[in-house]
Amino acid sequence: MSDRSMILRGGRVVDPSQGLEALRDVLILGGRIARIAEQITDADAKGAQELDLRGAIVTPGLIDPHVHLREPGQTHKETVATGTAAAVAGGFTAVAAMPNTEPALDAPERIRDVLERARAAGLARVYPIAAITAGRLGKELAPYSLLVRAGAVAFSDDGATVDDARVLRRAALYARDLEAPFISHCEEATLRAGGLMNEGEVSARLGIDSSPRLAEEIIIARDLLIAGDTRKRWHIAHLSTGRGLELVKWARAQGISASCEVTPHHLVFSDRVFAGFTARGRVCPPLRGDEEIAALRAGVREGVVDVLATDHAPHAAGDKSGPLSETVVGFSGLEVAVGAYAYALPDLPLARMVALLSTNVARLLNVPGGTLTIGSPADVSVLRDESWVVDPTAFRSKGRSTPFEGMTLPRRAVATIVGGNLVYDARGRVPRITSAAIHDGLTTAGTR
Amino acid sequence: MAPRNLLDLDDFSAEELMALLDRAEAFHRDPSPRRLLAGVPVVNLFFEPSTRTQTSFAIAEHRLGAEVVSIDPGDSSMVKGESIADTAITLAAMGVGAVIVRHRESGFPYALARSFPGHVVNAGDGTHAHPTQALLDLMTLRQEFGRVAGLRVAIVGDIAHSRVARSNIHGLRTLGAETILVGPPTLLADAMAEEGVRVERDLDAVLPTVNAVMLLRIQRERLEGALVPSVAAYTAEYQLNARRLELLRDGAIVMHPGPYNRGVELTDDVLDFPSCRYVNQVANGVFVRMAVLEALCS
Repeated sequence: MSDRSMILRGGRVVDPSQGLEALRDVLILGGRIARIAEQITDADAKGAQELDLRGAIVTPGLIDPHVHLREPGQTHKETVATGTAAAVAGGFTAVAAMPNTEPALDAPERIRDVLERARAAGLARVYPIAAITAGRLGKELAPYSLLVRAGAVAFSDDGATVDDARVLRRAALYARDLEAPFISHCEEATLRAGGLMNEGEVSARLGIDSSPRLAEEIIIARDLLIAGDTRKRWHIAHLSTGRGLELVKWARAQGISASCEVTPHHLVFSDRVFAGFTARGRVCPPLRGDEEIAALRAGVREGVVDVLATDHAPHAAGDKSGPLSETVVGFSGLEVAVGAYAYALPDLPLARMVALLSTNVARLLNVPGGTLTIGSPADVSVLRDESWVVDPTAFRSKGRSTPFEGMTLPRRAVATIVGGNLVYDARGRVPRITSAAIHDGLTTAGTR
Repeated sequence: MAPRNLLDLDDFSAEELMALLDRAEAFHRDPSPRRLLAGVPVVNLFFEPSTRTQTSFAIAEHRLGAEVVSIDPGDSSMVKGESIADTAITLAAMGVGAVIVRHRESGFPYALARSFPGHVVNAGDGTHAHPTQALLDLMTLRQEFGRVAGLRVAIVGDIAHSRVARSNIHGLRTLGAETILVGPPTLLADAMAEEGVRVERDLDAVLPTVNAVMLLRIQRERLEGALVPSVAAYTAEYQLNARRLELLRDGAIVMHPGPYNRGVELTDDVLDFPSCRYVNQVANGVFVRMAVLEALCS
């Protein structure tokens, strides 16, 4: 058993929560951050294992606020165990899990079940997001306070929009005094209709049924107005248009408590990926045009975007050769994310990137982490700026489809530490791991 | 080298298109049966019913000596419940050389072509493409004017849902003609405009400027789907009728891919109009399909 103590040697420590960006040693004792200093001596370390992280980036544990772990009910696609294995391999120490499971996470015992599975897996922390409506059917309210007591950190019917504005308004009113935000999946049903891709030049040329940006924006506007009306904290999931960002800015200017996230795929790919009718770019909301990509990148740089989120949506390895309408929606994201963000936003200062992936996410979900301050749990992500080629066959996730397949990305996760345990280690890629004990840490990580 | 499949005309160069049209003309001059595809099993796989296109392909296949098999996917246990890749593997294992496929979904033939090692001919996919229809239209234009380059062709009506229009846009542009698309904004997005393709709303203003008018069938469900207010409203702006035929310049022709809706996109006056080339189009369909099968398979 690891005693959950180690020294992280010589990495560039980037912690926006305390304005720190410098070469530092980090001492972890008993699963908590004990010291950060230019040099930590062996005397301080009491024989703890050492990781030589020279040339690497050391950050507060990255938290993905939007993943689909598929358990219960769709364990052929992903499980809590495989999803959290993917998370730590992608550099994430925690994930927030969406409730569109079968059955949906709309009851306290299901929240507790997910948490228990996460504990058993012993990899990333899992923060369940509970449904807004019973069964995610958009009709009856879920038991919000019971769900929070069971461990839910937010509410969302993600994968579906709550079509009925009266139901959503009442839900928000009822849950208003709970800290846990509502998270909106924004697609207006009648405008989206049977749309398989973004409406625009590409869909016009290909003759593919399409969904306009308006379908997303009209719900962003509606939900932000409901947020203002009910004074509920609100978060817009996988926002994909420039006008959507303008609506969030407008809402904040009105004093509405509004935040938003963008995904790696919306920051990188346009609807041109559909040329030739290849199906691997199908996702909701759909990949948009180049102008939207530029607007989203600007929104990140300018601070309109609060957090980055993968919308990790694994599907079973199946037949991807079929026509678009039969192709599943979404793809795995956790194991490409840090590389994809760096690819999309090469000029973003590292401290800003870490804030978007860690500090801001902890604040959004009101969960621990997002910081390396002394005494906080030792959730630490170690990244490295080096080129690698995305090979989905190497994924820990059961979902092996990604539009990033074959791309060269400029950053990757090399080690992930949760509560002082080394739960992921890209083996030879961390330069000279000096203690054999680390490998004990690896093999015992699942049993802590 | 010509492409392995005919999925849409944008895969073909001007030279390749002209070669196909030349061969189609040769078959036109001498339509007698040949043995060019003797022993090649060709499967007609029509997920959507289509009397005219399927018959035209079948005649073309027989004239080239192919072994013709038509599968009705609605009745076929081979196709029903199978993935498209399974179907492709099965057909290939039987030695099928070419599949002629029609499907309601845009892009379906592309998915089939990814799994099928033989030749795939797109006989119409959703609202995407209908390349043999466009080829027969190009052949009809060339017969009339001796060339396609430099012509100005109006395509009128429900462009949004028309695979015929999309394939014609590619063919006309590749061969150097100008396309003018005419229709209401709900049936013709501004986004369709590109180099060599104009979007216009006023049919009366366009008609005097073009060499040919291609009408498109407008389906009744469009009229019920809040895309067009009514038949009367549509015909007032976009129907070709006796009055509008007068606006055409001398020598201009009228085309229609069929089947037409009398009283909607056209009136009987148009069918009786001496420069209506509807019958020539249907006849040319057999010859271009022969040319395509010959080019791909032999």
